[in-house]
Amino acid sequence: MHPTTLMYTSSLLLMFAVLLYPLLVTFTSLPLNNDWASSHAKTAVKSAFLISLAPLSLFLSTGMEAVTSSWTWMVTTTLDITLSFKFDHYSIIFIPIALYVTWSILEFATWYMHSDPLMNRFFKYLLTFLVAMLILVSANNLFQLFIGWEGVGIMSFLLIGWWHGRADANTAALQAVLYNRVGDIGLILGMAWLATNVNSWDIQQMFILSKDLDMTLPLLGLILAATGKSAQFGLHPWLPAAMEGPTPVSALLHSSTMVVAGIFLLIRMSPLMENNQTALTLCLCLGALTTMFTATCALTQNDIKKIVAFSTSSQLGLMMVTIGLNQPQLAFLHICTHAFFKAMLFLCSGSVIHSLNDEQDIRKMGGLHHLAPFTSSCLTVGSLALTGTPFLAGFFSKDAIIEALNTSHVNAWALTLTLIATSFTAIYSLRVIFFVTMGTPRFLPLSPINENNPAVINPLKRLAWGSIFGGLLVMLNINLFKTPVLTMPAELKLAALAVSVLGLLTALELATLTSKQFKVTPLRTPHHFSTSLGFVPAIIHRQIPQLSLLLGQKIASQMVDQTWLEKTGPKAIANATTPLASATSNMQQGLIKTYLTLFLMTLVLVTLISAT
Amino acid sequence: MTPTHFTISSAFLLGMMGLAFHRTHLLSALLCLEAMMLALFIALSLWSLQLDATGCSTAPMLMLAFSACEASAGLALLVATARTHGTGHMQALNLLQC
Repeated sequence: MHPTTLMYTSSLLLMFAVLLYPLLVTFTSLPLNNDWASSHAKTAVKSAFLISLAPLSLFLSTGMEAVTSSWTWMVTTTLDITLSFKFDHYSIIFIPIALYVTWSILEFATWYMHSDPLMNRFFKYLLTFLVAMLILVSANNLFQLFIGWEGVGIMSFLLIGWWHGRADANTAALQAVLYNRVGDIGLILGMAWLATNVNSWDIQQMFILSKDLDMTLPLLGLILAATGKSAQFGLHPWLPAAMEGPTPVSALLHSSTMVVAGIFLLIRMSPLMENNQTALTLCLCLGALTTMFTATCALTQNDIKKIVAFSTSSQLGLMMVTIGLNQPQLAFLHICTHAFFKAMLFLCSGSVIHSLNDEQDIRKMGGLHHLAPFTSSCLTVGSLALTGTPFLAGFFSKDAIIEALNTSHVNAWALTLTLIATSFTAIYSLRVIFFVTMGTPRFLPLSPINENNPAVINPLKRLAWGSIFGGLLVMLNINLFKTPVLTMPAELKLAALAVSVLGLLTALELATLTSKQFKVTPLRTPHHFSTSLGFVPAIIHRQIPQLSLLLGQKIASQMVDQTWLEKTGPKAIANATTPLASATSNMQQGLIKTYLTLFLMTLVLVTLISAT
Repeated sequence: MTPTHFTISSAFLLGMMGLAFHRTHLLSALLCLEAMMLALFIALSLWSLQLDATGCSTAPMLMLAFSACEASAGLALLVATARTHGTGHMQALNLLQC
């Protein structure tokens, strides 16, 4: 084996071993010591991160990619499934970033979940999730990817419902599983089509053998899978509901790693989509709709975690738009940079929430700039990176995407929506910063505001370095696959920056209006649309089941019981006969004597007449 | 109408008159019912004699058997009425009257 491939494979193997060892220790019956979470789990992830830097540096210096196929799992007549790993540009860069973010989140979680009696189990779930995610990212065939896909889905369910005594948490976990399942149908459809038509689940074989086939159906299946997993419009309600889980779960699963799995699948399968205009247009329009709709919903939410969740959803829509532009590498870059600042935003929210004694409503925060300066600075840095401030992490990916959008022959509606959503990003980011860090405090005086724990400071610091320099580092060291368009009119070049600044100025103006009454009777309809999340949960989760249950009730009680059995069936006979019987018995007064006398008269007459 | 026919018809009619025009006692109605049965018995017995038809010779016996059942049923009703209503008078049986 070539030494580079040997290095790649052995480091992945070592990473898996390092991550699985703490999990296997828990399966024995030895009781865990109290700081198992920080001494074993966190150090395992830290070591795995350091190990993953070796293949990264080798890739950056040589640019060599590798595919390893090892143990043959199943051999059927037509389809072989082997354990095979793909070390390409996407997986080698994503794995260190994912491990870095996970390391920071686990260290934060040792502080956040400190008072939880089942903290060790929490860390075990997070480690299992990480292993499943690594399987998904490094998979070279769809079967292995599916294993990772389902693994992250089930860990998401377990982690969202962590506080399972709370009914809302159970509902949210169930929502996550059901919406993901609908997406899984698409993935299985794609896998089945590929297995029967292309006869393989290996990525390399699929790409070669599908050159002349019409791939619309499996691509629609894969897009459905991405819609479910990455919360695109239509299957999106589970992502804001998933905020019922603890903040480390939201930071790891629902911002950096799990929700990008759908986009990652599409990035991996992008050679199949290059020539299929239907699939590309669908991705573009779906992504544009998602990013616009969720940015609108984020504008009027009051829960800090929900705002960040909708922000995640909006950025996922942007990634989908990029795939629709046939720029998978830009989408991947956005995944990498987004992981840094979104995880940091969630960890800052977690620090604020714990400091204010589990208060999540931004209307009850304020003035934290003076009381928790480090957290609010990190919040500001993360928000600036999110909005695409020049030369922070988000700028390199987001600006590149908007430039590609502006300079390509693309649907004008999708373009407009994406630009409006970019300005909304600035608006809700400013709203968060205004309500949380500025102004006077609106919380109770005796709040345990303390961010002096190194378990809080160090993760935030690391992720802040990543949010500032991450984009630059990635961009400097990779080769772009597709030549970007570098010359364009100045307006197009500055479009992203201009709409963000416009959004910022609008938000500042609106922020000064919070203490004044601008209109006596304001128009509330758009506000209601935005706060009720576009009425989507109200209709799909409540109205439609209510109609179904009502229909069931109508069929069971009214149609069967009341109509068939009572009005037209057995009881109808009784109900019809009873008036007749009572009328007849009203007529017959029981005058036996009179009846018999009449009878007698008749007989006497007959006898006398016949006698003569 | 032959005299025999007239006699039997009038015997039946007299019994029925007694059944129809009863006044006080249920027992008297039952007795008239027996008289009607007797007239019918004689009519059936004379049928085969007058018409020289031996085929219906068993009819009177059957009639008698059924009349005995009927009489016993009637008497059981009388006893039951006496038990529930206290008397054997006809005025007691006025449930169906409005």
